[in-house]
Amino acid sequence: MSASQLIKKFDIDFTQEVIDYASKFFEDVENVRSCIQCATCTGSCPSGRETAWRVRKLIRQVQLGLKNAAIRNDVLWDCTTCYTCQERCPRLIPITDIVRAVRNIAVRNGFMLPRHVQVAGLMIKHGHAVPINDEVKAVRKEIGLSELPPTVHSYPDALGEVKKLLDETGFTKLVEEASKGVQK
Amino acid sequence: MTDVGGCFPRLFSLTDTVEGVFMSERKGAEKPRIGVFVCHCGTNIAGVINTEELVKYASKLPGVVVAKDYRFMCSDPGQNMIKEAIRDLNLNRVVVAACSPRLHEETFRRAVEEAGLNPFLFEMANIREHSSWVHMRQPKEALEKAKDLLRMAVAKVRNLEPLEVRKVPVKRSCVIIGGGIAGISAALDLADAGFEVHLVESTPSIGGRMAQLDKTFPTMDCSACILTPKMVMVARHPNIKLHAYSEVVNVDGYIGNFKVKILEKARYVKGDACTGCGLCADVCPVHVPNEFEMGLGARKAIYVPFPQAVPNTFTIDRDKCIECELCTKVCEAKAIDFNMQDREVEVEAGTIIVATGYDIFQPYEMYQYGYGKYENVITSLHLERLLSASGPTGGKVIVPSTGEKPKRIAFVQCVGSRDEHFFPYCSRVCCMYSLKHARQIKEKYPDAEVYIFFIDVRAFGKGYEEFYEIAAREYGVKIMRGKVAEIYEDPKTKKLLVRAEDSLIGEPIEMEFDMVVLAPAVKPSAGAEKIQQILKLSKSADGFFLEAHPKLRPVDTFSDGVFLAGMAQGPKDIPDAVAQAKGAAAGAAALMGKGEVAIEPYYAVVNEEICSGCKTCSGICPYGAISYNEDGRAVINSVLCKGCGACAAACPSNAIEPNHFKFRQVLEQIIAAFTE
Repeated sequence: MSASQLIKKFDIDFTQEVIDYASKFFEDVENVRSCIQCATCTGSCPSGRETAWRVRKLIRQVQLGLKNAAIRNDVLWDCTTCYTCQERCPRLIPITDIVRAVRNIAVRNGFMLPRHVQVAGLMIKHGHAVPINDEVKAVRKEIGLSELPPTVHSYPDALGEVKKLLDETGFTKLVEEASKGVQK
Repeated sequence: MTDVGGCFPRLFSLTDTVEGVFMSERKGAEKPRIGVFVCHCGTNIAGVINTEELVKYASKLPGVVVAKDYRFMCSDPGQNMIKEAIRDLNLNRVVVAACSPRLHEETFRRAVEEAGLNPFLFEMANIREHSSWVHMRQPKEALEKAKDLLRMAVAKVRNLEPLEVRKVPVKRSCVIIGGGIAGISAALDLADAGFEVHLVESTPSIGGRMAQLDKTFPTMDCSACILTPKMVMVARHPNIKLHAYSEVVNVDGYIGNFKVKILEKARYVKGDACTGCGLCADVCPVHVPNEFEMGLGARKAIYVPFPQAVPNTFTIDRDKCIECELCTKVCEAKAIDFNMQDREVEVEAGTIIVATGYDIFQPYEMYQYGYGKYENVITSLHLERLLSASGPTGGKVIVPSTGEKPKRIAFVQCVGSRDEHFFPYCSRVCCMYSLKHARQIKEKYPDAEVYIFFIDVRAFGKGYEEFYEIAAREYGVKIMRGKVAEIYEDPKTKKLLVRAEDSLIGEPIEMEFDMVVLAPAVKPSAGAEKIQQILKLSKSADGFFLEAHPKLRPVDTFSDGVFLAGMAQGPKDIPDAVAQAKGAAAGAAALMGKGEVAIEPYYAVVNEEICSGCKTCSGICPYGAISYNEDGRAVINSVLCKGCGACAAACPSNAIEPNHFKFRQVLEQIIAAFTE
């Protein structure tokens, strides 16, 4: 039996943190304060029909300031970003945009799924999130393509440049930090 | 600062003196002796603004003889303070720095008048709404702004002139636009009080939306049973002239003396001859979807919309009529007249009540619900007709695609209401009527499963919460907390898959239903737009007519003598609509009973010596108040004029000035705004 999740305090700055962060990229984020929890979003959610992801609950967590519950939750990554909820929200809340912003905040706080760390690691190492393997090489050859695609795979010098880009943008460091969190 | 003169570029810059430029020299050489009274408004003002400082500042302003402050200037002791100062110090001008003039200008004017001063030698500085309330956290700046406002008020009051309030007679007759329950109710009240009433209804019968309803919440009274006696009373009342199938096309005049043009559309059936026997409709070969039945039933090209129609006169729909004249042949009363013409009548009225009602939103644009695409998705007004014993199915609720009784029904709330994409407001009636519908279906089919999907159940009226409770407890209606997200139809069975989340459980729902009833938003009726233009009414952001004050003048408009009743002013249920109609009737009766009304003397006046007769002003005047005399000079009808000042601003020779806002009065105020 799981224990009661008694709430004793809200992280009152979290709402503003999300609004400030998301507003760098998206519009009307402050509408999140006016959510009436009508549940059109969850009812519309194709992922929610298959997974434990409840988009309405995330918005509620942002609204109330339940930071840990929002960012430490693996289902946060089950949204497919189809934007149906955002299209239908009667309060014009950019719901999907907010999901994306909260994911960023989660990673910045060291919460990243192991499989995402793995994919990011491949990107840093090979310049590809999905590097080529023998099987794909064989298929390419069979259909008359060169064995390697015209990417960093064919131009090993360019791989250095990609790595430099990832370093410069802070991506490498971000993943490194987050992966420590994952190991914890 | 020099830019300020930009609004009057053709004449002068503000640094010049205004002396000699304008005609409005202050009359008489009487030296201004001004009293300034600063109100604390409890802590509303004094909690932010240092009133002591403000009084000190005021006492040094030119012309100010005395400056005082008090806790509540509007109280009797406060008013007495002003009166005593006027008498003791021989004041001839008064400024009160307090709240908005909309609240207490009248109060202080009366006080000033009681002390023997002309009430228009008074000015208010709004240091509450314009300073202490909006700058609550900046007390220092709020004080500075209060000083500015006060200095401007003193500058204006120095130049004010005495004015006389005029009285105009009010005709003992009221035109009511809209024959729904609100219009009917107001008409009966006024007619009973002895006033003449002209009730104008655009459709062939009065009764409005209420006539379409089967039962009414929370008492479950049969709607027709409580409505039709009132309709009959309207028809029989000696003081009511009913103009059905008619529209108001023009309104001239002003409070107390409106001239209302009513277009009586040709019915092609003589009202005084038709007995309403219906033989004509029996033989008419043309079937047309009946608007009254929301298209679910048919009517003929010659028809009454419903059996209890008032007047019980048939109407020929000439767009659909094939002119076979079978009706003419069977009509024993010889009532049918294909040569009938539309007719315009003009009536005089002292007051007008606007009760133009509502339409329901047709939610075709909410694609996720499939309305108009899926046969079994209907609106609540369709269901009313299905429930009605006199409706197209004789009161049998059926699944449209099969004609069978439904086993599972879902009600969807807030279809377009509370939705920023459509109508941000709450429609206020849907929660209750959906509970009513759910109960009615459970009464007819106790085995049916009935679900209501809602955001919040708003059961706020008398007896409503109890009604809600009974729906769940005694009828077993399932109340689901979550708005329906989408509906899909199984093309073979025509059954409907409803998707939502029960937000209380926190799990998504996917359920199959035989039919879905949407509760669409209510919106102002299509005819309201035209009436708005004719009467120059204001609308609030939601599109409904705007009342003069949401709390204290809820049935009045900004057009004097024009009142609002019912849904025209905003979503409301029948009890509220009737209550408001009675309020509107009382407002109109108060004016007509007294027989005369005082009019603020803020009209514009023309200096004939300067007016060149260029006619610029008459094209601009929104109230049609300007005409021209035989010399071609502008003449302003002081009763029609609202003192808006548009003509004064437009006049190329500055020949027009609105009283109380004369150039000198306003300019001195502006100059004061920019001088410390």
